[in-house]
Amino acid sequence: MLTTTIISGLVLGGTYALIAMGLTLQYGIARIMNLSYGEMIIAAAFLAYVLFGQWGVNPVLGLLVAVPLGFAFGYLVYGLMLRPLVARAASRESLEIDSILVTFGLLFVIQGAMLVAFGSNYTSYNYLNVGIDVFGAVIAANRLVALGLAVVAGGALYLLFTYTLWGTALRAVAVSPRSAPLVGIDVNRAARFAFAIGCGLAAAGGVVISTYQTFTATAGVVFTMKALVVVIMGGVGNILGALSAGLILGLVETFVATYLDPGLTLAATYLIFLAVLLWRPAGLFGRSSR
Amino acid sequence: MLEISHLSLHYGRHLALDDFSLSVGKGETVVILGANGAGKSSLLKAIAGVTPADKGTSISFNGRPIHSLPPHQIVEAGIALVPEGRGVFGDLTVDENLALGAFAKRARAHANDSRTFVYELFPKLEERRRQYVNTMSGGEQQMVAIGRALMSKPDLLMLDEPSLGLAPVVVGDLFRSLGQIRQRGLALLIVEQNVKMSLSIADRGYLAEAGRITGEDAATSLLSTPAVQRAFLGGAA
Repeated sequence: MLTTTIISGLVLGGTYALIAMGLTLQYGIARIMNLSYGEMIIAAAFLAYVLFGQWGVNPVLGLLVAVPLGFAFGYLVYGLMLRPLVARAASRESLEIDSILVTFGLLFVIQGAMLVAFGSNYTSYNYLNVGIDVFGAVIAANRLVALGLAVVAGGALYLLFTYTLWGTALRAVAVSPRSAPLVGIDVNRAARFAFAIGCGLAAAGGVVISTYQTFTATAGVVFTMKALVVVIMGGVGNILGALSAGLILGLVETFVATYLDPGLTLAATYLIFLAVLLWRPAGLFGRSSR
Repeated sequence: MLEISHLSLHYGRHLALDDFSLSVGKGETVVILGANGAGKSSLLKAIAGVTPADKGTSISFNGRPIHSLPPHQIVEAGIALVPEGRGVFGDLTVDENLALGAFAKRARAHANDSRTFVYELFPKLEERRRQYVNTMSGGEQQMVAIGRALMSKPDLLMLDEPSLGLAPVVVGDLFRSLGQIRQRGLALLIVEQNVKMSLSIADRGYLAEAGRITGEDAATSLLSTPAVQRAFLGGAA
């Protein structure tokens, strides 16, 4: 029981971490508060569903389609819809408000398209739905794959952002957007890339989620909320923060659902969110006195 | 090397710079002296492309017009700014700050040489290379800021009030370091309140007042000019 709960918690937490990393990049670096983030996740889940159901493409390979598509979609959306806002924004604060309004609109466009294409039913597919014995607990293989994917994607992203010059430059834009141009960083280009990478991560999250959860065309907002909670808990723009806060949230939710009551998971989410905000307002990893 | 003519700059309706003209020669050290509000910082920001200048302004560097370039391309052209308040990446380490200093394409291939020079200049930075910059003292942060600017392999290094908020001992060290940088053949354009120190390492100086240039002379003569003595060295605020 305990092992099952821990592993399920890690799977859920890994998924939260994955999607939160994308949102933290978009919000932390590009200063775009993307309210349509959850819809992008669900769209990728439907994509994986179609790939698997129609052509028998295994979701792990489906990632190779979904992530580049997500990246390209984000790159286009930024260029077409968001860049005009960036150009006219008097400050980063006003950009934040504008971006909320635009992506709120985008949310309904994507959601509407999915409702037309797939209807509003719960959707799922059977991928690797066989039990595997892990330390005496039986876990569905698809959950283990999901955990593995989240760990690999999250770890790769963390290494990329910590040890490459490009990654360091993106972090620099997140922490000091006004100083970044002084070392030759094109902040607009960095923002566009960060937004696109964020959409790629949303797509990865959507594919991973589709392997072990049911989803509907209107479920996006839940993921946006969860990702946002994780982002703020971990500290805006902080990859390692998103990673750990995501895992914590997943574990807490699973433990509460198993040992207390499944109806209390949301309450637990907001309780720890509140606790973190009271105890460390800048997030778990915020060194902030900014 | 740097030629500026008819540089004007408005913040809304406020005229910050009124028809500035000045030049900096190759390897020359030039100081701009003036009270607060004389437009000294605005001048550096306009050159760096951070604040766009008015129409009719002409700024050229190494014979190439740069007044309509965005700031990241001005770094590529060979001008580095150490802004007022230093503008370091406080949440990153010393090493990361320096690495980012060489982000510009012109600088990447030389990053190792530049880093060696920076560590020679400021040995303390090498000792603290893994430290987060916002945990360092003001003087050390200023070293990071100057080091980061040097990493971009500039032909012209601009410093906006580098001694502001630093203890007198630290200011002495700072200007000694600037003297060493000058000896490497870099041109320096310095805006500074510490008139004596800055003129001691400068070749030439300009006097600015309320957005206009009111005088220009060799550094040694400025030190003994009555107007400078009265305004900056005699103590009249």
